[in-house]
Amino acid sequence: MLSIKNLHACVEEKQILNGLNLEIKAGEVHAIMGPNGSGKSTLSQVLAGNEAFDVTKGEVTFNGDNLLDLATEERAREGIFLAFQYPVEIPGVSNLQFLRTSVNAMRKHHGIEEMNAAEFMKLAKEVSKQVDLDPAFLKRGVNEGFSGGEKKRNEVMQALLLQPKLAILDETDSGLDIDALKVVADGVNALRAPDRSILMITHYQRLLDHIVPDYVHVLSEGKIIKSGGPELALELEAKGYGWLGIEDQVAANHE
Amino acid sequence: MKSASTLSSAFLQPAGQALPAALLALRFDRASALANLILPTRRTENWKYSAKHLKLTDDMASTLPMNASAEAAADNLGYTVVMVNGVVRPEASNYPTLEGLSIQRFSDLNEKDATLAADLLSNSISDQPAKSGSVNLSQLNGARFEDGLLIQLQPGTVLDQPLFLIHHTTASHSGSAYPCILVAAGNNSQLTVVEDYVSSGDSCVMVNTTTEFSLGDGANVTSVRLNTEGQTVQHMGTTGVRQQRSSRFESHSVGFGGTLRRHDLHVRLEGEGAECKLNGVVVTQSTQHYDNHTTIEHVAANCNSEETYRNIAADKSHAVFNGRIHIHQDAQKSNANMSNKNLLLTSGAEIDTKPELEIYADDVLCAHGATIGQLDKESIFYLVSRGLNPRDAKVLLTMAFINELVDQIPVEQVRDTAHTGLNQFFDQAFQEV
Repeated sequence: MLSIKNLHACVEEKQILNGLNLEIKAGEVHAIMGPNGSGKSTLSQVLAGNEAFDVTKGEVTFNGDNLLDLATEERAREGIFLAFQYPVEIPGVSNLQFLRTSVNAMRKHHGIEEMNAAEFMKLAKEVSKQVDLDPAFLKRGVNEGFSGGEKKRNEVMQALLLQPKLAILDETDSGLDIDALKVVADGVNALRAPDRSILMITHYQRLLDHIVPDYVHVLSEGKIIKSGGPELALELEAKGYGWLGIEDQVAANHE
Repeated sequence: MKSASTLSSAFLQPAGQALPAALLALRFDRASALANLILPTRRTENWKYSAKHLKLTDDMASTLPMNASAEAAADNLGYTVVMVNGVVRPEASNYPTLEGLSIQRFSDLNEKDATLAADLLSNSISDQPAKSGSVNLSQLNGARFEDGLLIQLQPGTVLDQPLFLIHHTTASHSGSAYPCILVAAGNNSQLTVVEDYVSSGDSCVMVNTTTEFSLGDGANVTSVRLNTEGQTVQHMGTTGVRQQRSSRFESHSVGFGGTLRRHDLHVRLEGEGAECKLNGVVVTQSTQHYDNHTTIEHVAANCNSEETYRNIAADKSHAVFNGRIHIHQDAQKSNANMSNKNLLLTSGAEIDTKPELEIYADDVLCAHGATIGQLDKESIFYLVSRGLNPRDAKVLLTMAFINELVDQIPVEQVRDTAHTGLNQFFDQAFQEV
């Protein structure tokens, strides 16, 4: 599904990723953990195609295609979905209008008939219930005035609507209380399918209690320094990153 | 240094004399007062950004044909009055018939009504002596109108549907037109007026308008102003509003740019408890120019004003907003809110905004805010990462900037026209490369 080889990337001339390698096969769930500043979010932004990040070296293939050659919207239409760590508030654009435009952009790309407003409304209402969001949210501006937890649920709702091939979840667990975490995890688990892969980026082990990954990777200074099964996350939780000889890189950079 | 240029005397010569005596006298006085008018330059404060777009050549001084063919108003508009080059065309119009409502063209006015019209014009706010250093070119209207419309609502009269005033200017050759609209809304009357300014042809013309509203106690008037005139039209319009006790005035204006668009809107809250709400949307592209100047005077106590203007400028266009709030000494408990937000779509576009507050009362709530920004890159990325075309994402975000104001326009046909115009604007402003 996704193959990343020797990926180097920088933002505003600051090198963040330094030769990252990762293979994700269809149906697999991977978790990437790592201290602040290790490059977790950069990886997700680079995969989704944020032009603020420059790829300086390496290659990424997605189902055999060179992902880095594709424009942001083409990546989305080919099935890459990024649940944002900080979803943007867009007052004046209704959630419903945005979601329908998005779903129809995908459908058009795949030669499927576009959905009319009534059909879409029905679908959106069903999916919003799945993540415990009041359908009234659909009428509001995109993420406008949503609480942190509502924004994250809205991201998962979008993933459920768009049915991506690869869902990248960037700290979708941060800022959630235990009930919201459960709702979000149920949503993500509902996404698990033999033809779909999930890449979870997280700081904490607690999400992995609810969504058990097939693989856990530790990212440090822009490289994966250790990979293992779910037990690796538990070990990290117990021993901290210091156990692997790394420290919080934001803190380290500030010294 | 270039010497100041004065208005050519050719601009002070009306074409026809088919008006009642009171209005002819008023027009003559105006022309005399404007002789030797010094034209604004960039050093003229209230024309600072627009003076360079003003090009009044002598061939534009002549009145555009007063008998040009008039296209009948579309049926779906309901009540209409068609004016071509400032002249009322009853045969192309569909006047409402309602007891308590009279709609008369100037040439038909009897002596009493002509005196009322002349009074409304001589009390007009826009024709008050100009502050030193400011030039109000809309005063020209008073010296040049050939016809006009006096709309009177007797107390308690309510018109159930909007009244469309369609101002068509034929720009098949150079010249100018001077539409003049007077609305006297009696106590507790209600009216929605749509002023729709359109043009045909592509010669250089000037459209110079005056609209005066006088609202009695408890009157409720909504004014919608739509400008979709052609690129070569220099439009200078003034709207004056006087509001008595507990009256309410709403204004919704939608403007598309041209070589020069200028609108001065001046509201005086003269009776206690009066309130006004002024909304404006302007979009400009290529080398277009649009300048909105508004003034809200809180004269009496306990009045509310709420003003929201949004400008979007693309390419190398230029939008200007100047919003003045003047709270008089006796206007205690005034509540005034003004917001102007601006969106620059390119680095070559320019937007100038200036809020001005003059407050002489001590117990008032007065807030103002002005911002100028660009489309947010993070927002574009968010939308595009969901599969939207970058163009569609930009259109969605740009539309979001003004959606709220377009949705508030209380006349469906105007909302539709606005959407059509905006879609054309987006097509050109966000061409896919």
